[in-house]
Amino acid sequence: MGNAVLEVNELTTKYITRFGENIYAVDHVSLKVEEGKSLGIAGESGCGKSTLALSLMGYYFPPLYYTSGQIIIDGQNISGMDPDEVRKAILGKEIAYIPQSAMNALNPTQRIINFIEDVIEAHKPYATKKEIYDQAKSLFEVLGLPAEVLNKYPVELSGGMKQRTVIAISVILSPQILIADEPSSALDVTSQKMVIKMLRNLMDSGLIKSMIFITHELPLLYNVTDDIMVMYAGQIVEKAGAHEMVFTPIHPYSQGLMGSIMVPESGLRDKKLTAIPGVPPNLKNPPSGCRFAERCKYVMPECRVTSIPLRDAGGGRAYRCILPKEFLMEAYERERGER
Amino acid sequence: MKGYRNYFANKLIWFGITLVAAFVLNFFLPRLMPGNPVAAIVARLAQGMSNTAGVQAIYEQYAKLFGTDKTMLEQFFLYVRNVFRGDFGYSFSQYPRTVADVIRASIWWTIFLQFPAIIVGWVLGNTLGAMAAYRKGGFDKVLLPVSIFVSSLPAFGMAVILLVIFGVTLKWLPTSGGYGYDLIPNLSWSFIWSVIVHYQLPFWSIVLITIGGQAIGMRSMAIYELNADYVKYSRFMGIKDGKIVRYVFRNAMLPQVTGLALAVGTMVGGALVAEIIFSYPGLGSTILTAVLGQDYPLISATTLIVTIMVLIANFVIEIIYGFLDPRIKAAQAD
Ligand SMILES: Nc1ncnc2c1ncn2[C@@H]1O[C@H](COP(=O)(O)OP(=O)(O)OP(=O)(O)O)[C@@H](O)[C@H]1O
Ligand code: SF4
Ligand SMILES: [Mg+2]
Repeated sequence: MGNAVLEVNELTTKYITRFGENIYAVDHVSLKVEEGKSLGIAGESGCGKSTLALSLMGYYFPPLYYTSGQIIIDGQNISGMDPDEVRKAILGKEIAYIPQSAMNALNPTQRIINFIEDVIEAHKPYATKKEIYDQAKSLFEVLGLPAEVLNKYPVELSGGMKQRTVIAISVILSPQILIADEPSSALDVTSQKMVIKMLRNLMDSGLIKSMIFITHELPLLYNVTDDIMVMYAGQIVEKAGAHEMVFTPIHPYSQGLMGSIMVPESGLRDKKLTAIPGVPPNLKNPPSGCRFAERCKYVMPECRVTSIPLRDAGGGRAYRCILPKEFLMEAYERERGER
Repeated sequence: MKGYRNYFANKLIWFGITLVAAFVLNFFLPRLMPGNPVAAIVARLAQGMSNTAGVQAIYEQYAKLFGTDKTMLEQFFLYVRNVFRGDFGYSFSQYPRTVADVIRASIWWTIFLQFPAIIVGWVLGNTLGAMAAYRKGGFDKVLLPVSIFVSSLPAFGMAVILLVIFGVTLKWLPTSGGYGYDLIPNLSWSFIWSVIVHYQLPFWSIVLITIGGQAIGMRSMAIYELNADYVKYSRFMGIKDGKIVRYVFRNAMLPQVTGLALAVGTMVGGALVAEIIFSYPGLGSTILTAVLGQDYPLISATTLIVTIMVLIANFVIEIIYGFLDPRIKAAQAD
């Protein structure tokens, strides 16, 4: 067991809409990322992946609010800290973020270098422009990005270059952990590969210690991350090593997700998540029992009574279902054999 | 820099084309009005004269003086040549004053009224709109409907409202003229004070109209920018809110600059109307008397000058805009 770079305990956050409704898009989420490891998060659209990414930053602004739970980065609990302290000491320095729409993540009327100056000055008010430029230039060189990019405006960069620039800026303060929300989804295949390679490179070269990677592309997750977590309706429904998650999913929802990309002989097929029949519950008033009940083929009356806890499945795995794991795994095996 | 050169050249060509069109239209349109202004002047001068041959002689003399005995096309080229020499000819209705003389007396009133009013209105409107977007809440709830109401009034509507409230009902401010009738223009305190007092109503009627439209535009641009992805990313990189607000307002301001370029024409038009309502001694009132008196040279000259002022303002704004927004340069470079 390495030491935990990020540990999250029972984190709950909510959106408050204009009409005053609460949407609990992250509900009692716990997770742990160790040094040198990466964690993948999968789930259908709207299940709360991006909200989890935002919530992990420990810095909230409307309509997202913190409710309860702990975020511990490198032994320091940031969830009770003063927001301005988090801004200065944590954001970018301990934990950094790459937004889902990194294409538009840069101010269109500012040169890249001027944005980098603003980022660094927010944390080190005494850095000179020259120091900042040299630092940015050497980082860009290490990451294989041309230094001319620094003097350009975002519009002058291609999509892939913009994305890689955002990634480079995100790590300029050497954060412990990087949270990448679908960093490659909007790109063409070549740029996707470059972005993935760059992220791996960040880990291998020790520029960042660990990473959380959110994506729809399951095959990608399998190739990039050590562990995978599946989210459904704001909750974690299963955690496992990447290999176990892909080949022996336990929770009926994970099985649905993974089954849709499996072909029995050849292992993984390159295919995005296909829909499981039905839609996720509305997070304004989620069902009191199992949130997956409406769509589950094993559903029983007990499933709908009280909320289902996350159960330990041994070997670092956990899942949220009242059925025994042996039953669920066997059923999955049988089904795959039949197809 | 190549992108910016293209942009500049493009704007310059359009400036030239519009200028030519303005010359042609400003010359021909007034002269297409029915009626014979020279005959009207002669009739006034020749009152009581019974000798038709004498009247005819006077008419011909004036027609020659004003050039109306030549064909329209000849008159046009003569006009263009003279304008480039700085000669706008005689005013028909205020003969023997020259057009240049009439304009010289009124243009400064217009410039000193409209420039400050439009700029103050633009700055105030944008500030209020930005505050409404950022603060939201009660401030926004009041500002938005008021701005919509104000900006949908016709230009003369605001002038009339202010005139009735502050001039007629409350009697706080004078309702017409640029200074008291009983004063002779000089640098005395009483004259300057009179000018300041007379300035208020036309000034604020233009300012208020401008504020309304600008505030609405700025508010929606700023709301859009505040929700942009770069705001979220900048926050998560630890940048202070104050700095992010500056990014947002700078970006929200850019379309407002082009908005100003588009609106300058309408604004000046509206402001000319406000001058007429307050009988302000500027170009607006001059245009009105020129039109009423069928004073072709004066109409052509005043409208040409207004058009050129609007075109220059437009051109300058667009040139500044191209400088401020890197997206323009990038778009023109391909
Ligand atoms: N600004 C917001 N205000 C209110 N509700 C929101 C807001 N943003 C997201 N939500 C809700 O929170 C839930 C989770 O959204 P989130 O964006 O985290 O999902 P996601 O898993 O990232 O989806 P995707 O794969 O489409 O990116 C959704 O039900 C969504 O409707
Ligand atoms: S708890 Fe019941 S409804 Fe939920 S996943 Fe398990 S079997 Fe299905
Ligand atoms: Mg998302």
